[in-house]
Amino acid sequence: MSKALVSLLTALGDDELVLGHRHSEWTGCAPHMEEDVAFSSIAQDEIGHAAAYYSIAAAATGESPDALAFGRDPGEYRHAIVCERPNGDWAFTLARHWLYDNADDVRLAALESASHPELAALARKIRREERYHLIHADTWIKRIVRGPVEGRTKLIDAVSEVYVQALGLFEPVEEEAAAVAEGLLPVPSGEMLARFVERTGNALDELGLPTESHKSAGDTARFEASSSGDLIADDRGEVELSSTTPGVAMGGRAGRHTDDFKELWDVMTVTYRSHPGASW
Amino acid sequence: MVTVTTLEERVWDALAGVPDPEIPAVSVVDMGMIREVAVSEGVASVVVLPTFTGCPAIPIIERDVAAAVESVDGVSEARVRTSFDPPWTDDRITEDGRRKLKEFGLAPPTGHGPVLITEIGLPAVARCPFCGSGDTRAENPFGPTPCRALYYCEACRNPFEQFK
Repeated sequence: MSKALVSLLTALGDDELVLGHRHSEWTGCAPHMEEDVAFSSIAQDEIGHAAAYYSIAAAATGESPDALAFGRDPGEYRHAIVCERPNGDWAFTLARHWLYDNADDVRLAALESASHPELAALARKIRREERYHLIHADTWIKRIVRGPVEGRTKLIDAVSEVYVQALGLFEPVEEEAAAVAEGLLPVPSGEMLARFVERTGNALDELGLPTESHKSAGDTARFEASSSGDLIADDRGEVELSSTTPGVAMGGRAGRHTDDFKELWDVMTVTYRSHPGASW
Repeated sequence: MVTVTTLEERVWDALAGVPDPEIPAVSVVDMGMIREVAVSEGVASVVVLPTFTGCPAIPIIERDVAAAVESVDGVSEARVRTSFDPPWTDDRITEDGRRKLKEFGLAPPTGHGPVLITEIGLPAVARCPFCGSGDTRAENPFGPTPCRALYYCEACRNPFEQFK
């Protein structure tokens, strides 16, 4: 059993499970019915992807996939903090949806050539499904960018808030060096981060959204939205990356999470915890 | 003339009677979800390719496939395994399957695979399964199950679903 494999699969599964849970919170209260259907369906996809990642991990450890999904304490989850943040408003939801699915595509493209055949095949399968998510997110971003200024401003604010948090998706997973050496993770997190920054920077340029700050997005940059809707890089010096720094969200891959996750975890695992060992 | 059917052929025949739980008009064979069947000393191994990773019907399909295979004379045990290799694509649906999907009221896939033509990622023209018109518009790339998208037919004014 490879510790690196289980660590990588846990991080992948946790990202999908926790964000899938957030997406599912739009079921029944999205701005209109088509979006109710869309977010419910995207949530179902993401939770299904989590189940598939957990199944490979469970086969390696002998645990059940359900125990991995719902049977751990909050500090044992390895998702990026951006996934646990509350949905907030529609702008925040869409900005996160767009940034997450771009990040996920970068990651899946790398995993398609993983040395673990089952993981590589799963990545190819998931990537085909995620195309629908990406296009859904893109369609919304374009619609809002071309729409009235109020929506555009809200979107810019939301993108600037989520962008730095999304960088936490590329915080190295535990045992990353081993995962790279074993070919499980063919592209190291640092390289994937660079691809993500370039790709989203170019996309935001094409959308006509201010992107100068994004291009300087190293580990120490953070962004603020000005009242004119432009993004301004914070030049107050280096910002230490930690989960307690406002606007920055690292630490998730090491199991450090915010109170937002405690609340989410309470809801997500309540049934599982209420009936230990039950067979449904 | 005597027709000889092998045990594997009989397993395939049994699988042809297993409906897709969400679209009972088509079988798992029609959908191209059976990758392979191998029988050795009474043990039948079947590999199932789910259409979508998050399909909630996967455990039901596994159960139904196992039951059908075990009912075949000469099979003592069924071993059913799910795989995503190769990924299921819509070009695995048989001609028969396409016809049955249409009769069920689902527009069959275009046969071009998941080529995303329009901005929202659906075939620009899906043919209405009710009236055959191509004067349709995509409403939503997501639908009631992970594998279906929503369309509207301008000609007969019916909403319909397309298999993604």
